[in-house]
Amino acid sequence: MQRSIHSTAAMIAAVSVISMSWGAFPATASAAGDAPVADPAAKVDYSGKLTILTKFGLQLLSPYFVNVAKAYEAQHPGVKIELIQENDDSIKGKTKTLVASNSLPDIYFSWTGTWGENFIRGNRAVDLSKVIGPETEWGKTLSPAAVKAFSYNGKYFGVPLYLDAKFMGYNKKMFADLGIEPPKDFDALLKACDALKGSGVVPIAIGNKESWPLVHYLGQLLAYNVPTETLERDFNPKTATFNHPGYIAALGQYRSLQERCAGGAQVNGLSYQTALQSMSDRKAAMYYQEIIEFDQAATKETALKPEEFGFFKLPAPSDAKGSVTALEGAPEGYMVNAKAKNVPLAIDFLKFLTSQENGRTLSAPPYGQPSAVIGGADKTRINPNVAEGMEEIAKASYLMPWLDTVNHPRVAAAWLSGLQAFAGGSMSAEDLLASVRKAAAAAARQ
Amino acid sequence: MTMASVTATPTRNGAALRGAVSNRSRWLRHGLLQQLAALRWGIVALIIVGWFVYYPIVDNLFVSTTTQDIFTGEVDYVGLDNYRRLLDDPVVWRALTNNGLYAVLSVIFQVFAAFVLAAIIEGLRSRAWRNFWRAVYFIPSAISTTVTGLLFYFIYQPDIGLLDALLHLLGLQNLSYTWLGDERTAIYAIIAMSQWQGFGYSTLLFTIAIQKIPRELYDAATVDGAGPLRQLFCITFPLTREMTGMMIIVTIAGAFQVFNEVMVMTGGGPNNSSQVLGTWLYEQGFNQNDMGYAAAIGVVIFLATLTTGLLQLWYTKRRRVEA
Repeated sequence: MQRSIHSTAAMIAAVSVISMSWGAFPATASAAGDAPVADPAAKVDYSGKLTILTKFGLQLLSPYFVNVAKAYEAQHPGVKIELIQENDDSIKGKTKTLVASNSLPDIYFSWTGTWGENFIRGNRAVDLSKVIGPETEWGKTLSPAAVKAFSYNGKYFGVPLYLDAKFMGYNKKMFADLGIEPPKDFDALLKACDALKGSGVVPIAIGNKESWPLVHYLGQLLAYNVPTETLERDFNPKTATFNHPGYIAALGQYRSLQERCAGGAQVNGLSYQTALQSMSDRKAAMYYQEIIEFDQAATKETALKPEEFGFFKLPAPSDAKGSVTALEGAPEGYMVNAKAKNVPLAIDFLKFLTSQENGRTLSAPPYGQPSAVIGGADKTRINPNVAEGMEEIAKASYLMPWLDTVNHPRVAAAWLSGLQAFAGGSMSAEDLLASVRKAAAAAARQ
Repeated sequence: MTMASVTATPTRNGAALRGAVSNRSRWLRHGLLQQLAALRWGIVALIIVGWFVYYPIVDNLFVSTTTQDIFTGEVDYVGLDNYRRLLDDPVVWRALTNNGLYAVLSVIFQVFAAFVLAAIIEGLRSRAWRNFWRAVYFIPSAISTTVTGLLFYFIYQPDIGLLDALLHLLGLQNLSYTWLGDERTAIYAIIAMSQWQGFGYSTLLFTIAIQKIPRELYDAATVDGAGPLRQLFCITFPLTREMTGMMIIVTIAGAFQVFNEVMVMTGGGPNNSSQVLGTWLYEQGFNQNDMGYAAAIGVVIFLATLTTGLLQLWYTKRRRVEA
């Protein structure tokens, strides 16, 4: 009897496992479908729950979405908003887990480039062309470049919330004490570093523990050294060659910058936030940062006071072969889940989120995120540096996207780990490019 | 009750026979019902275990023979391609080496050094001191690995970290180093943190094993003139051999499941120098969107832990027979 019980149990277990496994492939293969198209005439049903995945999980920024959600709920008592607040690093893994389990919230954060394209490829985003396209009423309230950044194959899939770009923040007092002017070209920057180093401060705090900060330096230098059309061709693994000499030149410039301006190979041991803190603590004279970090670098509480904070565009080398008017940066925004139960409600919330009033709140301290809403920055309320940075973004001839979100994940990984090795001195520029080419070839075969 | 005894009764008393048969059938019915009830609950348990334990393992095997695009949901069968790719992937070999290094150093510190420390603590005359040192060494084990990883991340920070401050205080600033930022030292810095945390727990387990050794053995050895070192090797070590064996196996299995500390402290960098199988699996699956390959790495981890698990079963069974 005992033996028969065991045999029966084993058979049942085996049958269960096999039958469950049998259904595995169809279950995973059924995710894709046709993306719905947003209807501008759709009536909004103000009831039910709206789930939103944000990238505002950092303590300083998280209240923004909480407050917007509360205001929307107050206007529409039948609506309940559930926020999932992640930060820059954690949202990458979280989003993919939600996609894999078909559990994407109704509204979710997205970068532009390959990152956003993934959702469109998988038909997981609502086609918003008819409601946010450049000719629509809503589309006209947003920065055209920002709206365009979320277009794929002539259709519009994202709602840009803010513009972002990278600038070199600096301590005006330290520069003034040494009689240094904000550098106009790359050589002048290196000379400024020599003078600052001589005075006993760290010229530029670089923290690359997370591996993406160096990608930002390189992105801007590549925009200067490699023609835009070549860069864009290389973003696609199927057409990528990565053989323009500007790549080696840009890496060489970064090498000089690290050796003369930062702490050599130890950049890999510092985190991005620790490096930012050293500028705020007046231990470093410069820090390459996103415009959305201006309001964090210098506050009333930090050693570096807001009036001492200045910024300039990372200067271009004199023999640049690319675009010297390009600026590294990209808008960031939100998409609507193709499977959202109440798409009109999700779109209505996003319209509310990008209203003039909410745009002004987002651009002002303590958030300091330059809103993508046209006129969404009240210059009397926002940090003058943020306002000036927004003007720089508007002047830029080309917004160079982040290398780790515009490239195929394999190519991005090769840039990320390769740059760490390059910074640590264990890989040459040529070897780094070879590994990027190899990754692109492997990605093209997929 | 046997059949023979039942068949013998009718000649003496028919009523007794009927009663006995009735009792037997009741007993049989009751026993059968009990067994059926047990089987029913056993099946429920099996389904739950099958769903949560065995199904993911089997499904992972299927996934490892495919390439999957999580965004489109497209699944392509690629046979053993992912396993062939594993063999050609230098980071996998790096990760395996790091896991192996983790295992070797963990056995040295968390088994042998912890054993010696436990013997020293248990050798202390004062009960209060014994309790004090047990607590001192055990407390790090009570902190979560993620918190400890973050703590040590700050300790290792160049220039501003506690370790650098200590080196400067001791006049050893020449030893100041970017421990987590250098490809040559990152994995050792992580392993060092891990040993600091796990050391106390192993020590506590060894103290429990040592406490089970009868004190008379030590008293007799002392009378015979055996010193502390001789007592350690001739009494303590042989009589805690079962615990030592178990600790070695558990420590090796744990070394192949390392994830949190590496993720928090370096994320596998710089340049993948501190990758272990767990973090490389995560990188492939969640950052590079390559779930099939990640599943193949998962199979490697499964085989490594399964092997150590089987060794553990074999070892405990062997010890039980000897006892």
